[in-house]
Amino acid sequence: MYIARHMTSPALTVTPDILLPEVRRILNSHHFRHLPVVDDEKQLIGMITDRDLRSAYPSSVLDEEKRQVILAGVEKTTVAEIMSRELCTLTPHSTLDDALYFLSRDKVGMLPVVDENKQIIGVFSVQDLMSAYKKLYGIGERGSAIIAVEDDGLAKPLTRIVKVLEELDIHFSRLTRVKNEGRKDTIYIRVHTMRLNTVHTALKQIGMTIMVP
Amino acid sequence: MPDFRTITIINHPLYLEHDTGGGDHPEVPERLLAIRQRLAQSPLAPFLSEVKAEETDRENFFAYHDESYLFRFEEAALSGKTYLGHPDNQICFESYQAALMSTGGCLTGIDLLESGKADLAFCAVRPPGHHAERALALGFCFFNNVVLAGKYWQKKYKREKIAIIDWDAHHGNGIQDAFEEDPTVLYISIHEHPTFSFPGTGYADEDGIGPGRGTTLNIPLSPGADDTMFLHSIDKLVEPTLASFRPERIIIAAGFDGHVLDDMSGLSYSTGLYKKIGEKMAAWSHQYCQGKLLSILEGGYHIEALAASVEEYLLGLAKK
Repeated sequence: MYIARHMTSPALTVTPDILLPEVRRILNSHHFRHLPVVDDEKQLIGMITDRDLRSAYPSSVLDEEKRQVILAGVEKTTVAEIMSRELCTLTPHSTLDDALYFLSRDKVGMLPVVDENKQIIGVFSVQDLMSAYKKLYGIGERGSAIIAVEDDGLAKPLTRIVKVLEELDIHFSRLTRVKNEGRKDTIYIRVHTMRLNTVHTALKQIGMTIMVP
Repeated sequence: MPDFRTITIINHPLYLEHDTGGGDHPEVPERLLAIRQRLAQSPLAPFLSEVKAEETDRENFFAYHDESYLFRFEEAALSGKTYLGHPDNQICFESYQAALMSTGGCLTGIDLLESGKADLAFCAVRPPGHHAERALALGFCFFNNVVLAGKYWQKKYKREKIAIIDWDAHHGNGIQDAFEEDPTVLYISIHEHPTFSFPGTGYADEDGIGPGRGTTLNIPLSPGADDTMFLHSIDKLVEPTLASFRPERIIIAAGFDGHVLDDMSGLSYSTGLYKKIGEKMAAWSHQYCQGKLLSILEGGYHIEALAASVEEYLLGLAKK
């Protein structure tokens, strides 16, 4: 669950004195959309994105004369002049849940990961988050399926489910209880077996109702 | 006195020796015994010809599987391991030999069809195969019989365009893996939707890769889907795809676990559906393959429903 295991490290970085055409070339050549900006001590001081660049460059619908004026300005502009300086960062001990929360809250595509000295040690993108959760929950792996059961409202439903699955040596990678307003809760289990009938029977025997879509 | 076309049933004593460890494991020798008993009492009985499967060269397995995987499987069986890779794939001392012979039986069927000794071959084999991948046992399967049959047909008899029609309740991930980049093999699978069913593959948008784009057709059905939905898929999707591909040979991955009584899937097919399927497959074999058709047993775990459904399927196939 810790970011250290899922981040991209080391991160490609730029310095604040680099001009915008150069940073655009770097982003395009690596197919990146975000680059951390660091000082001489490798300390994170900002973030530059393809969106920042699009805003700085002239619109293609402008007349040519105005375009050339803006373009001339852009070519002399440094990263430091347009980068974002208010940054949310992760540490190696941040969790995937932390990253999900910050990425969603700030509506950004990538978060830098820094150590205790604010030196950059990696980056963590939305794509990294999806890959990590996919792996964590066994999504897309051959040999699994999801089962939904209705919470029977009796004591310790999750304990009873885990006990019966482990007794049967049924591998599972996810067990989630979802609250439903005004209705009974739903429990989702991703099981890794072809013997879904065995799982169904065992769950029914402990009083669970299998939910069919 | 009813009159039917002759069907060759491929059998071997080793198929009963693959022991999945008792308990409530559903892939058991009783499946084949029930089929044999049912067919012996069927009006089809006088039209059935039993042939014993023959061993096949080890080389034929390398058309898909890694040699190191064969060694790993053999060693696991002979050293007394109880499963290969995952507890679903239970094995015993004889399982490796049984699995070799399971594939062997399918290739025996092809030899009979090509020599003119048979037109309709039903390979009553176990263990099943369509989940097995290059170096992976999965879902009770060890060697991918259908894949190896397709490769053998192409290599030995130069039948270049093969269509595989898989109506087991589960998606044949191994078949798709083997042929998804190969434009010479059309793989069609009708199965319970991967969100709710093992092995979690076979979404409708998986339609082949690179040069094989368009020669994979996945038709996932919702849990509860019945005969009507199955037949609708056959008419609207399978029929035109087959017509544009025009196969030289057709292999059926015949799984019977979509039956309403079979709790290995949520599908709700009736016994009677399998007769209609048999009639349809026979019609396609006439249309494209001079009446020749190879059917390979895959799943089907409710013993009585399996036996009854196999009989219905063969009645449909053999109808004159």
